[in-house]
Amino acid sequence: MTTYAIHRLLQGLLVLFLISVITFFLINLAPGGPTAAVTLGRTAEEREAVLRQLGLDKPVLVRYFDWLGGVLRGDLGKSMNQGLPVSSLLAQRSVNTLQLALTALLLTSIFGIVLGVLAAVYKNRWPDHLISSLATVGMSVPAFWMGIICMIMFAVRLKMLPSSGMYSIGQEFSIIDRLRHLAMPAGVLSFNLVPNVIRVTRSAMLDVLASDYVRTATGKGLSERRVLLKHTLQNAMVPVIAILGLITTVMLSGSVVVESVFGWAGLGRLAIEAANGRDYPVILGVTLLVGAIVVAVNLLVDLLYAAVDPRISHE
Amino acid sequence: MDTPTIVSRSRFWLRVWRNPVGATAFGILLLLMLLVLFGSIFYPIASDATDPLNILATPSAAHLLGTDELGRDMLSRLIAGGRVSLSVGLLSMLVGLTIGTLAGGLAGYFRGWTETVLMRMVDVFMAIPSFFLVLVIVTVMGNHPLTVIISVGIGFWAQMGRVVYAEFTKYRSRNFVEAVHALGASHTRIMILHIFPQVLPQATVLATLGVGWAILTEAALSYLGLGIQPPLASWGNMLQNAQAYIYSNPWLAIYPGLLIATTVLTVNVLGNTLRDILDPRS
Repeated sequence: MTTYAIHRLLQGLLVLFLISVITFFLINLAPGGPTAAVTLGRTAEEREAVLRQLGLDKPVLVRYFDWLGGVLRGDLGKSMNQGLPVSSLLAQRSVNTLQLALTALLLTSIFGIVLGVLAAVYKNRWPDHLISSLATVGMSVPAFWMGIICMIMFAVRLKMLPSSGMYSIGQEFSIIDRLRHLAMPAGVLSFNLVPNVIRVTRSAMLDVLASDYVRTATGKGLSERRVLLKHTLQNAMVPVIAILGLITTVMLSGSVVVESVFGWAGLGRLAIEAANGRDYPVILGVTLLVGAIVVAVNLLVDLLYAAVDPRISHE
Repeated sequence: MDTPTIVSRSRFWLRVWRNPVGATAFGILLLLMLLVLFGSIFYPIASDATDPLNILATPSAAHLLGTDELGRDMLSRLIAGGRVSLSVGLLSMLVGLTIGTLAGGLAGYFRGWTETVLMRMVDVFMAIPSFFLVLVIVTVMGNHPLTVIISVGIGFWAQMGRVVYAEFTKYRSRNFVEAVHALGASHTRIMILHIFPQVLPQATVLATLGVGWAILTEAALSYLGLGIQPPLASWGNMLQNAQAYIYSNPWLAIYPGLLIATTVLTVNVLGNTLRDILDPRS
């Protein structure tokens, strides 16, 4: 187990290092990269001065190791547009994305697991067909459009929820107000994710339901409810936890769109602002951070998985 | 009983055609394609022509679905936008498919350091959430339609590569591969003529689902103002300005999104049908 854990940790670090290499060189070697952006419309002398000031006159390899050294010390450079250190921008925005993501994760787990279990219990009957149709629809509807439609329905027509933002301006902070603002973005974000959870829960439940020990439990005369909740669901949750890595990646991608639609000042919105303003240090920092989050979650899931199922680490 | 694992190629397509759900999805998709390809012949209003006297107009004989905030005809923009959205979706998928198949195929066939290097790349690209990857590429490469196609394709290749890799490793040690190798066939010949056709059904499933993903990604990118740029219409960028008019003219936002959802839904249904036929267990 320890050897496996160390092996996986090193693997994760390698992937993280490669992410930094790829994004850094992609950004710095492209024709429209930082050098071109800061020198636009300047004279030759100005250009030279600006490049030297920003350290862009050094060879790209030197710049990479300078940047990497900074990253290891927690310094990701300065935002070109906002003048703030990238690390404090990231810290500030991560909190907001975390709120959104955890709420969405909660909604996704509840709806995904309940619907997945129902689909498995009613296999090939109408509830199963209805749920799998809904899941296909959920995968196909663009999140930003879903967001706009929800806005039209809940904010414009029914006037139930605020249309965007993270809190009501000019009011004191209250949990209720925050939750009202969270409802639509978190709901929309989880809408595209629920189908994944339904699919995995359903097939895991079906696998476990077909196993010998469940038949034994039923044969012993345990109630159907007890067999389902105690014997089946607990074991079926193992593969569901395994897709947490996938959920994290999809959720981070989705947050870019959802945060922009609803004006939620999180990491995704920061990425869009940076992309629109050609703020290279920020876009580099955001990409590295989301990559690190995915690597960390996957590592955690693998280790949990190996702890639960000892067969894996002995491969 | 015939062997259930490998569905022969000719039977595969026959079963798709005979499946009512698959055939319906295919039909709807064909209809959508005909509409965006030939729609402008029957509805010849230029998609970028403005009608300043009829801004944000309701549907009328002159403008069947009304006009947008610049007085441009909605229906003709939907047709033109569909052409862009569908072609970007298809071409991006082809980019992803080509890179993924090459990388996955080479890694699965040759193993050794080729496998290590290529599959490590796949790991890296799978670890960066695809939308961020696409965002980085579009930021540095600009948003010419061609760069949009390439970057969306790059967002998808790793997934494709992983599947093709798994398939190639499965077949490379099979008897028929050893047999043709013993007959003196070159590696290239074995890969293209003998293994690739076996991988094709699996690749088709993923490619179909990939088109749906690519259309969604392009739409999101264009909605955010980083993809296809106006005046060129795409279903995604039509939604960009429409959000400002949800109070007065919600239809501006509803039409393009409905078309995106319908297209992606039929593509996904088709993809799922293909997968069910290939792997009846799931």
